[in-house]
Amino acid sequence: MSLDEGEHGASAAAEFDSPAAEPSRRDFLRLAGFSAAGALGAACGRAPVRQAIPLVTQPAGAVPGRGQSYATTCGGCAAGCGLLVTVRDGRPIKVEGMPDHPLSAGGVCAVGQSTLLGLYDNRRFRQAMLSGQPAAWADVDRLLAGRFEAIRQTGGAVRVLTPTVHSPTVRREIAALLATFGDGAHVEYDTISASALLDAHETTHGVRALPRYFFDRADVIVSFDADFLGTWITPSQYTFGWARRRTPRAGRPPSWHAQIESRVSLTGGKADCRVSMAPDEIAALAFDVAEVVEGGHGAGLAGELGTRLLEARGRSLVISGIQDREVQQLCNHMNAALGNYGCTIDISRPSHQRRGSDRAVAGLLQDAAAGRVAALLVWHANPLFDLPGGDGLAKVPLIVSFAERADETTAVAHAICPDHHAFESWTDAEPVAGVFGLTQPVVAPLFGTRALVETLAAWRGRPRPAQEIVEEHWRAAIFPLQRAEADFDRFWIRAVQTGHVCVDPPAVVPRPASPPSIARRPAAPETTHLVLHHTPAMLGGEHAWNPFLQELPDPVTKIVWDNYASVSPALARQLQIASGDVVRLETSQGAIELPAHVQPGQHDRTIAVALGYGSLMTERFKDLGRHWFGSQPTVGPNGRVGVNAAALQALDDGTLRRHVPGVRVSRVGRRHVLAYTQEHHTLTVPARVAPPGGERRPIVQEVAFEEIGRGGAAAGHEAADLWPDDHRPAGHRWGMAVDLNACTGCGACVVACQVENNIPVVGKDEVRRNRELHWIRIDRYYSQDADGLHIAQQPMFCQHCGHAPCETVCPTLATVHSAEGLNQQVYNRCVGTRYCANNCPYKARRFNWFEYPHGEGSEALALNPDVTVRVRGVMEKCTMCVQRIQEGKIEATRRGVAVADGDIQTACQQSCAAAAIVFGDLNDPSSRVARLATDARAYRVLEELNVKPSVTYLKIVRQTASLNGGPASHG
Amino acid sequence: MNQRIATIFLVTAIAFTTSLLVARARAYNLPGNHQGYEPAQPIAYSHRLHAGDLQIRCLYCHSNAEKSRHAGVPAASVCLNCHRFVTAPLGAVRAEEELAAKEQRPARPVVSPELQKLYDALALDAKLQPIPGRVVQPIAWTRVHTLPDFVYFDHRAHVGAGVACQTCHGPVETMERVRQASDLSMGWCVNCHRDSAQAGINGRPVRPSIDCSTCHY
Repeated sequence: MSLDEGEHGASAAAEFDSPAAEPSRRDFLRLAGFSAAGALGAACGRAPVRQAIPLVTQPAGAVPGRGQSYATTCGGCAAGCGLLVTVRDGRPIKVEGMPDHPLSAGGVCAVGQSTLLGLYDNRRFRQAMLSGQPAAWADVDRLLAGRFEAIRQTGGAVRVLTPTVHSPTVRREIAALLATFGDGAHVEYDTISASALLDAHETTHGVRALPRYFFDRADVIVSFDADFLGTWITPSQYTFGWARRRTPRAGRPPSWHAQIESRVSLTGGKADCRVSMAPDEIAALAFDVAEVVEGGHGAGLAGELGTRLLEARGRSLVISGIQDREVQQLCNHMNAALGNYGCTIDISRPSHQRRGSDRAVAGLLQDAAAGRVAALLVWHANPLFDLPGGDGLAKVPLIVSFAERADETTAVAHAICPDHHAFESWTDAEPVAGVFGLTQPVVAPLFGTRALVETLAAWRGRPRPAQEIVEEHWRAAIFPLQRAEADFDRFWIRAVQTGHVCVDPPAVVPRPASPPSIARRPAAPETTHLVLHHTPAMLGGEHAWNPFLQELPDPVTKIVWDNYASVSPALARQLQIASGDVVRLETSQGAIELPAHVQPGQHDRTIAVALGYGSLMTERFKDLGRHWFGSQPTVGPNGRVGVNAAALQALDDGTLRRHVPGVRVSRVGRRHVLAYTQEHHTLTVPARVAPPGGERRPIVQEVAFEEIGRGGAAAGHEAADLWPDDHRPAGHRWGMAVDLNACTGCGACVVACQVENNIPVVGKDEVRRNRELHWIRIDRYYSQDADGLHIAQQPMFCQHCGHAPCETVCPTLATVHSAEGLNQQVYNRCVGTRYCANNCPYKARRFNWFEYPHGEGSEALALNPDVTVRVRGVMEKCTMCVQRIQEGKIEATRRGVAVADGDIQTACQQSCAAAAIVFGDLNDPSSRVARLATDARAYRVLEELNVKPSVTYLKIVRQTASLNGGPASHG
Repeated sequence: MNQRIATIFLVTAIAFTTSLLVARARAYNLPGNHQGYEPAQPIAYSHRLHAGDLQIRCLYCHSNAEKSRHAGVPAASVCLNCHRFVTAPLGAVRAEEELAAKEQRPARPVVSPELQKLYDALALDAKLQPIPGRVVQPIAWTRVHTLPDFVYFDHRAHVGAGVACQTCHGPVETMERVRQASDLSMGWCVNCHRDSAQAGINGRPVRPSIDCSTCHY
């Protein structure tokens, strides 16, 4: 054997024995060649074969590719706002406000907007369940019929537990089922309870009812801790009225609004006079003001408030959100003494938006604890989550839940009979006496659910479709109340078309009682109070499963995906804590641990915690967001979003109290990272880089009412223009105007934009890294002066600059200017250099750092087919809803008419309850937006940069906070 | 030595392939360009017969083109407007009638095999009555003209402006099976927008936009 052979043999053997251990250069080339050939082959191939599947029979009026709107009523809360649901090729894709609705007038809040996601929610119950196992409806009906029959034999108590039900048909069906039992009762309770207010009216006016408030008729509003623009009863509808009266008209100052509160609420931020007080002090102040209103004079703050109220007799409003019957009675007496009943308050046609009775639910809890309840039927309520002592209900031998998705109550329910989503079924509403709303299905039921009224009717032995049940009730009870239509069928068709009808209801006759002597309470020793409150997005926690609402920044704190203990800076110093330090809150009811947040403007003896968090429904978010080194889960250590503080509420003396005195705070020593968005994309200049005198920029501008139109507000920055004036748009020039005086910062526009423009949810960790994708951010600015803390809210989005700095730096021309003044972002050209975002003075651009998922499974059906779903590595920003502009222009051309002002509405504009956003053609001098652009209050943000933004802001009107003081000064 | 031969052979082969490819380059499309795509359809529907010989207007079947972004494939019920009465080519019906006359029997209904697929989809029996209990099945046509997801084309605007269907879709009335006649590339769109801004459409002035956001949003 030669040496050569030996060598060759050895190397060959090595090569065949372990080719993977030592890939040779040849292997590499071979693999690379195959890969290249494969890639080439793939590139040369045809695109995947796509199919076009037409309908077998096209229904009359249905045009594939065009949206149709159906009028219906919102089922998100008890406010009963009118909706127009856009259905495209059989699937609902957008919720808008019904512009003609007598209560909501086109506004829809963030919760209402996001109910769309609930329809497609992957984790809805798809069928009935018995003892946790899927079951056929027939089996459920048969089993429950047997159980109910046994209860009828023994005469056991049956209770139906719901939140406020203002649907006449549902009320009637519940009553009809309960009538078949010897001892049946319908118990209503509200997570955002106004029970004390209703009880107070029973004492003072002889009717247990919630009056209807007209904020648009009130010149003076004094609110004792009622967050009526954020969470109190029906904020969207109140915002509409409040904003109408807040817009300054020539010679008529806007309404004057005082907010006395212990935490910092969205409503407090909009008040002319915001007073920070501990809860016990607020009650004492209410006594003082009542004395002034009766006596005619007084000193100090009570004197000022009382005098203001007395000057506006019949044109004022005193309201309170405190769950305290005596304070509520005082407010009623003040309103009566001021002659507000019949003017700004209507009790003869009361509102049905709150009917819950804390006394009744306390009675139910006692009965359940004593074993006196044989069966409990729960609809749209989650007492095991949001009622203190609610877990006592688990002892009831038969619990039936009608919930749409799993929650704390369904976990102990014996039978689950899932109700349809509000978009899938017929039902109705009567939010205010005489205003009837109709809910019609806009899509066939997606899953094997069944409408509540159908289920109840089946259990009564009269199974009928929901439409028949609703129609029959309307024929019998509502049609006779009106005179406009003589024929029921015409009446019904009109109701289905418009979604609502107004009739003359039988008036409720109040029986005013003489003012009782309410004894002033002895001054209690000063303790720290726990103030449990709600947030506009989370409300009572019914929608905690909804990622849109979890990622909507809180209007004041700008925190997402968490609740927290808000403490004042002084208290934080005393406790030596900073934002993010976990604290332990102990009351006589129990203890919770949650992160602290230092909140300026809050009263020093107050700790505020939001309710509605820590729900079982948020366990679904445990995998939400990106998972990589250093990332933190969206849920907290308890596996849920936030901590449930409901158990700390006090249910005593028939009132669910949210103010708990005597809370003890201690540091735990742990930290929990909160995701704040306020510091993201900030327009403020860091002090170290600011030019002298440029540390503060007039981003939010304010003006005293007397100063409006005086002193040439625009005479500021007449800069020389280096750009030739050669691209002046000749046709349309789209622009927007935002009235900062009307904007409350509620966030409805943010969610409307998110739904319309397919903006994904990114999760807490990404938000923490500045990567939220909302095209609209609402900047919140604090200013502090002798009067206390003032808050300004400013929706900020792409300003569509005439001289856009982003356009000049884009190396691929992915962002360019349109002939109609829009700053266009072309996703398919964008390579993701992010130069544009860096050069944007308004920080309005958002980058897709990852491929963010758009929900799972059926949830992708909620996507708007008219807007591109962006991929990773692409910049995006507000387009002024260019898809709606195109649709409006093409439709106008098709009909042979010009685009009229108001024909095209952006999603944010449509949903705004305060009508603070106006979109239109700046080249049309008669358009609303063009007139607002030259309004006396108009200014443009960072106008000195000469980027010529297309968005006009209207200055906030600040009125004198005190009677004798000057206007508050802000920068 | 062997390696040298192999190298020479490879280089020759590559040069030969390249020269062939270059010569026939026009027949190859760039990725994403599906010009000439002519897929088989579940029913061998002939545009040449319907739009060409019978002169049925495009908008009779594709009626959504005036009203919606999508021209749309007509619903199967639209086909029945005519094919409730016309079940086979005239020649086949005549032949059967003549045969029946010769054999002195009533003529049998003649149904062409392609139309039978339509009746099956609509669950219709031989007398074109619905078969009880049978579920209708929509016809899954193969899409010929597709655009990327980031492009929004609107038929309404073009039909309304007077653009003939053939401008983009080619002489469909001569096609037995529909073929993608144009390359549907962005340059092709923009050229037409530019030209018609100057020349108008059929002499009528139009204002086509060449803004990006006309199609991309």
